[in-house]
Parts: sequence; C-alpha cells; structure tokens
Amino acid sequence: MAGRAVIEFFVSLKTSLWLLCLVIVLLLSGAFIMPGEKAFQSIHSMPLLDWMRQQPVKSTWWLWASMGLLIVLAANTLLCSIDSIAKKRKITQWMLLISPQIVHIGFLFMLIAHLSSAVGGFKTFAVGAEGTSLAMPDNSVLQIKGISISLDSYGYLYDWAVDVEYRDNGQVLKKERILPNKPVFLKGVGVYVKDLRAFPNKMVLLEVSREPGAIWALVGGILFMTGTIALLVLKMKRDEIQRQP
Amino acid sequence: MVTAVYALPFYLLGLWKRVFLYCGLILQSVYIIYRGLHLGRLPLVGPHDTLIFLSAAMVAFSIPFNRGTKGDPALSRGISFTAMVLTASGILWQPHNAPLPPVLKTLWFELHVVLAFFSYALFGIGAALGVFSLRQKDAFREALQYRAIFIGYCLFSLSMILGGIWAYLAWGTYWLWTPKELWTSIVWLFYTLYLHARLVQGWSGRPLASLGIFGFFVVMFTYLGVSLFMKSSHTF
Repeated sequence: MAGRAVIEFFVSLKTSLWLLCLVIVLLLSGAFIMPGEKAFQSIHSMPLLDWMRQQPVKSTWWLWASMGLLIVLAANTLLCSIDSIAKKRKITQWMLLISPQIVHIGFLFMLIAHLSSAVGGFKTFAVGAEGTSLAMPDNSVLQIKGISISLDSYGYLYDWAVDVEYRDNGQVLKKERILPNKPVFLKGVGVYVKDLRAFPNKMVLLEVSREPGAIWALVGGILFMTGTIALLVLKMKRDEIQRQP
Repeated sequence: MVTAVYALPFYLLGLWKRVFLYCGLILQSVYIIYRGLHLGRLPLVGPHDTLIFLSAAMVAFSIPFNRGTKGDPALSRGISFTAMVLTASGILWQPHNAPLPPVLKTLWFELHVVLAFFSYALFGIGAALGVFSLRQKDAFREALQYRAIFIGYCLFSLSMILGGIWAYLAWGTYWLWTPKELWTSIVWLFYTLYLHARLVQGWSGRPLASLGIFGFFVVMFTYLGVSLFMKSSHTF
C-alpha cells in the first residue's frame, strides 16, 4: 500500500509542479546569497562538489537542497515518462506521445552532465611567457612557442593567438594555435587562454581543464531541442486542424 | 539615435491606430541596421542597443498575434505602450560604440543574444495576452498566451544551449555559477512550470494567465536587474 502511494507520488504531474516551485525558491535564495558571500568568488576554481564540501553550509545550503530536489525531480521525470508511454501507447499520433519524452530524456542528460562535471571536472591555471614549458596531467609537456597580440589604434585588444607545441619524451606530438573561442585539446584536456599581457613582456594566463559533462550536455541539449521543436510544431498543427470549420 | 527617437511618437500614435505601430517598427529597424553597418557587428551590447532591439522584436513578433486577435486593438495598444517605454529607456543610455573583445566576435555569441531577446519579446507578448485573457475571461487569448510562451521557451532554451557551447569554447565550461546564470535558470524553470501547469486541473485558467504575466517581471529582472545591480560576467 505504501509502495503504491510512493509510486503515485512520483508519477504525479502535481509533484513535478511543486518540485519545480521549490527548486525555483531555492535558486532565488541562492541568487540573493551568492553576490554577498565572498566564498562564491572561488566557485570556479575546482569541481563544484569539492568546492561545496569545503564551504560553510550557511553559504551553500541552497545548492545542497537544490541538488537533492533535482535528484527527486529526475526520478519524477523518468517515472512520469514511463507512465505516460504505458498509458497512451495505443494512441495513433505516436510523435505527439514520444516528443515530450525526448524532451525529458534531454533534460535528464543535462542533469547527468552537471553531476558529471561537478564530480569529475579538473581545472588548473598557469602563467607563461614564450618558451615556457608546462607539465600536463597526462605527463606530456606543453610549450608556449609564440604569443601574438594585436591592438587597434585606440589601444583596444583586437585579436590574439598563442602557438603551442605538445611534447612527449622529447618528441613533438602536435603543434596547435589557440585563438579566441578556439581552445586546443589533447586526450580530453582543454587548454584555454584566460588573459594576456603585452607589456613589458608578452605573458599569457592559461587554464588547463577537463569538463566531463560537456558531451552529455551537448547530447542533452540536442535531444531537448529536437523534442521541444517537434512538440511545438505538432501542437500548432493540431490547433490549426481544430480551428478549421 | 535620431531615428530611434522618431520611433517614439509613432509608438504613441500606435495606441490609436495599429499602422503607426508598424511605422515605428520600420524606423527602429532602419536604426538597428544602420548601427549594425556602422559598427560592423550586431548592435546588441549594452542597454541602449538591447532595449531598442527588444522593443522592435516585441512589435515584430506581435504581428501574427494581432492577426489572431481578429481586429481587437487591445494587444497592439499594450505592445505600443511597452515598445514606447522600452525605446524611451533605451534612449536614456549611451550607445556602446567601443570594439568588442575578441571573445565576443563569434557567431555563437550573436545567436545566443539574438535568440535570448527574441524569447524575451515573446514572453512579453505572452504577458500582455495574459492581462487581456484575465480582463475578458477569454480562453482564446489564454491559448494565444500559451503559444507565445511556448515559442519563446523554445528560443530561450536554444539560446541557453548555444550560450553553453560558446562558454565551453571561450572559457572551458558550459556553465558558470554567476547571478546571471542563476537567474537564467530561474526563468527557464519558471516557464517549464508554466508549460506543465497547463496540463493540471486547478492550475490552468486564471492561475496560468497570472503565471505568464509574472514570468515577464522575472525576465525583465534577469535582463536588466541582474546586469545593473549584481556583479556577473554578463554585466553590461
């Protein structure tokens, strides 16, 4: 009996609505706590879960609570989808049945992405000049071969490029050029230029990071948009048919 | 700038006749195109350009919804008033003419911002339709509100995804924990709630129309309030 009540709670759309309300309230609390707390200045310096463990609960309670509620919401989404397919499997417009479930799967992928990055992400920073060699997590070496900075006539940074070389045991693995919005990757580890300095010497601040959730987020995003657009088109078509005399 | 100022009286006259609303839109579109050509980029940085773009987008997207309301001028009047307020607010700000930093010179950024403002415009239209559906207890306008918000939600989600791809390429992460991102998730969850609430008895009808109206206030705070009052990577 109690098991049935639990299942009914989880497959109810009303549960989804109240969970969404609660998550919104928690994020609203966070939105007002975050700007006033110094602790949040270091939030991007390490994977989220490690950072949360190191911070006082008075600053992060809303993040912990949101995470817990999102886990319940994920279970609710999954069970609602299964229930919907089971109940409506005999309807003729199967695209109308399947589209919301694709949206839900996309959403679940995005949650997995955030969890994956929060647990298994990696990030480190290094400052270097031309000729500087940096040890990478896979024991290869990244050498900065050249830094090119273009300023316009008003002194604004117009463009930049950083040439790098990956080496392993003295052998050149590959030569790459880091550009704005074009990082370089080796074995899933990305190298990004975070800042540059032209004077007195050309220097660059590099970020070396791995974001394991990125691929999950991309797949989730594609699924989510595919399902949402399909649902929108189908609903609009259905409304047009219903409106015809 | 003068062209944008000229749009104001047309929006004022738009309260009387819809044709003036469209004249205002043409003038504003000319101004946006002129600024784009002058700057050599999409003029969508800073409150001046974004407020003017938002008002033009709202008027443009209201055209099919005006047709749907079968000659009732209430929606176009509401949109005229909103476009006037947004344009007047935009004119108060100095245009951002400085060149963009290299990281912003990408199609990902342009698509992200354009789609975000298109969605804001549709959420605004949804709020206006919600006001009329509450006043006239009209199920048809409520259905139009749902359609405006659903299309807006689609564009908003796409904008977030494209923003995530851009952030990953620019900064190494698809998600930054800043007040702007947090408010963006609140907007997204809020409209997710709206779209699901329509399927539940007791939530549909007046509560739903009210949610659609309230949502636009959340959108406007996310767009202007966070940028002006909170420190974020998205600050103007």
